[in-house]
Amino acid sequence: MKKVPIYIIVAVITFAIGYNVNARYFSNRRPVQPIAFSHKIHAGDNDIPCLYCHIYANKSRVAGVPSVQRCMGCHKVIKTDSPKIQKLTHYWESGEPIPWIKVHNLPDHVYFTHKRHVKAGVECQSCHGDVEEMDVIARVASLKMGWCLRCHMNEEVKNGKDCWTCHK
Amino acid sequence: MPGIIDRLSKRLKAYRTPGYYKKYDYHWTMVVDLDKCNGCAACVVACHAENNLPTVGKDECGKSRAFNWIRIERYVEGEYPDVKVKFIPIMCQHCDKARCELGCPVYATYHNQDGLNVQVYNRCVGTYTCATYCPYDVRRFNWFTYKWDEPLDQQLNPDVSVREMGVMEKCTFCIQRIRVAKDKAKDEEREIKDGDVQPACVQSCPTGAMVFGDLNDPNSSVSKLAKSRRTYRLLEKYNTEPSVIYLKRVMDGSSKGHEERHHV
Repeated sequence: MKKVPIYIIVAVITFAIGYNVNARYFSNRRPVQPIAFSHKIHAGDNDIPCLYCHIYANKSRVAGVPSVQRCMGCHKVIKTDSPKIQKLTHYWESGEPIPWIKVHNLPDHVYFTHKRHVKAGVECQSCHGDVEEMDVIARVASLKMGWCLRCHMNEEVKNGKDCWTCHK
Repeated sequence: MPGIIDRLSKRLKAYRTPGYYKKYDYHWTMVVDLDKCNGCAACVVACHAENNLPTVGKDECGKSRAFNWIRIERYVEGEYPDVKVKFIPIMCQHCDKARCELGCPVYATYHNQDGLNVQVYNRCVGTYTCATYCPYDVRRFNWFTYKWDEPLDQQLNPDVSVREMGVMEKCTFCIQRIRVAKDKAKDEEREIKDGDVQPACVQSCPTGAMVFGDLNDPNSSVSKLAKSRRTYRLLEKYNTEPSVIYLKRVMDGSSKGHEERHHV
């Protein structure tokens, strides 16, 4: 067997390390949010339904980032001594929205509606991953067209293959 | 691998064959009553506002780069005191047997299940073939990436994408409004009723000359108007079977309808 040149091995290892570091810390899949909000505590451990906070998911195109008021509805009394909650209280008192960083971002030429998907009985987890087990929210799906078409090529999706069903 | 390509090309060929659909889910049709049209061009303005069309200005129009999905053509007969003017609004005719679909090398324009001739902007590579094939001259090409000045960019419609340089575009029958109506109808678990969908031009028409609806539904207003004796379609001799139906303007003393003299 021929020997593999050392520089190829070094290149492969460097690429692998770089790729992982990039994916973990610098990609838009897993950004650092202004408040270290944990979906695991809320949706996982305490079983709060998704629709309690993302109230528009079954009524509108967007699922809706909850308002600070919705957070404060519980956190006026729950765990007020935690530094994270004090950060939230600061936003509440100054009357500012929390500058959450969008994780699931679709390009402008895509028409996507949460309502149709939720009403068709698609589970939130089938696109967003097991959010109830995530401490830091991360995007698991590629959100590329080929990924959408895995479901849309099925006959059950009416006009699922037509370009203008999803593009605008 | 060649087997896959063969199969795929066969399917695509079947797809672009005119009359691929036996029956459309909806057959969106527009009826334009030329007796009511007074050429005010409100439809042109409404179309610009709804579909994010740029206003290119006089110089560009002079270079045959005018930008409008719907235009008003004028036909003037006679001299000043005794003058007869006829107007005809012309938009994409959404032909059932569309020429443009045959020409596109990348399948960017195709017929969908609603009888609409649609253009996929992301697929378009800008060969201009469809515009040269179109007998109605309704396709418009983005020669530049047009910009909107500071306050005007706030009025862009978020339901319609802003096209870039090198992309062909045309009237869509306001497909974004059809989509909204479908969404609403699905929530209420029914089909789209007559009058649920109104493209911007139809909505803005002050005299109600334009009517939009589903030709598959025998009780819709377009189906009733399509039975009129005045109906004709543009350049019928080319057998493109347009989805836009015109109702002839009957004028006293006018020798011919302009429809017979309509050349593009």
